[in-house]
Amino acid sequence: MRRPAPTARQVRALANRLIVAVFLLVLLSLVVYVGVDLLPGDPVTARLGQAGPARVAEVRAGLGLDRPLATRYLDWAAGLLRGDLGTSATGRPVAEMLSARLGNSMLPAAITVVLMVPSSLALGVTAGLFRGRPADRILSTALLLVVSVPEFVLAGGLVLVFAAGLRWLPAVSLVPAGGNPLDTPAVLVLPVTALLLLALGYAGRIIRAATAAALRAPHVEFLRLNGIPPRAVLARAVLPAVLPVAFQVWLTTAVGLVGGAVLVEKVFAYPGIGEVLITAVQTGDLPVVQALAMILGAAMLVALLLADLGTRAMVPSLRTAPR
Amino acid sequence: MRSSRFPAGSWPAFAAAAVLLAVAAAALLGPLLAPHTATRPVGLPYAPPGAAGLLGTDHLGRDVLSRVLLGGLPVLATSAAGALAGSALGVTAGLGAALLGARRAWAEGALLRPLDAVAALPPLVVLLLALTALPGRAGIVLAVAVAGAPLSARVIRAAAAPMVSRGHVEAAVARGESLGWLLGRELLPLVAGPVLADAGLRFVMAVYLVTAAGFLGMGTGGTDWGVLIAEALPGAGLQPAALAAPVLLVAALGVSVNVLADEMLRRGRAVLA
Repeated sequence: MRRPAPTARQVRALANRLIVAVFLLVLLSLVVYVGVDLLPGDPVTARLGQAGPARVAEVRAGLGLDRPLATRYLDWAAGLLRGDLGTSATGRPVAEMLSARLGNSMLPAAITVVLMVPSSLALGVTAGLFRGRPADRILSTALLLVVSVPEFVLAGGLVLVFAAGLRWLPAVSLVPAGGNPLDTPAVLVLPVTALLLLALGYAGRIIRAATAAALRAPHVEFLRLNGIPPRAVLARAVLPAVLPVAFQVWLTTAVGLVGGAVLVEKVFAYPGIGEVLITAVQTGDLPVVQALAMILGAAMLVALLLADLGTRAMVPSLRTAPR
Repeated sequence: MRSSRFPAGSWPAFAAAAVLLAVAAAALLGPLLAPHTATRPVGLPYAPPGAAGLLGTDHLGRDVLSRVLLGGLPVLATSAAGALAGSALGVTAGLGAALLGARRAWAEGALLRPLDAVAALPPLVVLLLALTALPGRAGIVLAVAVAGAPLSARVIRAAAAPMVSRGHVEAAVARGESLGWLLGRELLPLVAGPVLADAGLRFVMAVYLVTAAGFLGMGTGGTDWGVLIAEALPGAGLQPAALAAPVLLVAALGVSVNVLADEMLRRGRAVLA
């Protein structure tokens, strides 16, 4: 198989996708900064309202909130472009507050993604192959149960069974200050299990649906009726149709996991960005939350772009045929 | 979107409806049935289920059963408000995009692109952002609406797009009916099934965000199931019933609504096909 050279059309399609992604990111920054600012009330008044208007005005001036909205937005956006995430209401740079904990949070998420890719593919394809039969009913029902339940409820259930009931694993992720969670791997087991169940719920259901759809395709039926061994049909006709979909759902689930991690971290008192964020929300520290929203939003847009590129690379008709 | 899993009118749908009714009844009638207030200690901390009450007591010696019964209404009411707001926003944008987009592509973009931008954020991050700027119940409802609307708009646009070219819709456009009439009276009835199924999914997300807010200690104030889970976690080893009750209720609520929405989506599609 010779891979054809990228044509001008493909380069143009890629450029178009990039422009759309940048445009969406700009829109997102407007929603996250201007939209939030236009909400009735503001974080300072909501939390210091009783302290009197003089004190509120003083704090607002201290945070630079008395300048016009457009100026503040442009300053903030220009900062983001330079990689400056702004300054928290506490006076510390946001980048410093987040980076200290981000590594701890990424670790369970990364392990989860590594485990999710093979297991969701195996579960989803198995359920799809046995569609309508008892094995599929059981798998599908299990996935539906998992996807319907908030991850902290799931994590709470795990604590009940494995920490409170069986006493196999710690209920609280005690990581010594400045230590690395990898030094005490047992604390990672339950958080990763909770995240993995959540990810399997999403990815497994979509991969199952893609497999079931691929099996109904006429060319698959043709191969089967011609006596091609099931294993070969699966490898040559079904998996090539399922993988682009799976790739896409893996990427978006991976970004979504960082959001879910905030809740799971609180269940196990795991020292990640969750704690920083919760404090920021409770004290009305908008710059911290806005910075994280932009980081995750940008990550999601990059993930979608990669998913698009991956789909193009994996689907021959998109790669070669004029569109 | 999903393939059929159960035969029509099947037992999972009935079971889900029964579970949903039971949970809703517990939440709505709970305040009338609760034997104690949510805050008064009635016994020793972490008393097991039995003499100290059907579900025992929590870390402050308060009656868990009463707290569970009192904690459902705020969850259901806030979730319903948020799901309704998000659904309304998404349906309006989706129907508008289908109708206007059939003639002018830019109108569809103008309606859907801002929602696409928000859809890049995980729902929980939308919740955190909304609660930072607007603490309390208003922030939760806003977050549920904003996080849910993009998905609603996509589903409804896809369902309504083939309907735009139907004779009665084109006749209404030619008569010069107002936009409100076109969306509400001509298009909305055609996509009622997908709208209801989608509202169910928005409600599942709403329950998730409302209980998550309570769990993170940023909730509606007072007692709700999310708060109960957060409070019961440290003592899970001593008093598992205090954790199990809210965990099971939130799980039952999410699963039953999800199964019903699944079923409705399937039937809605069968009618339209």
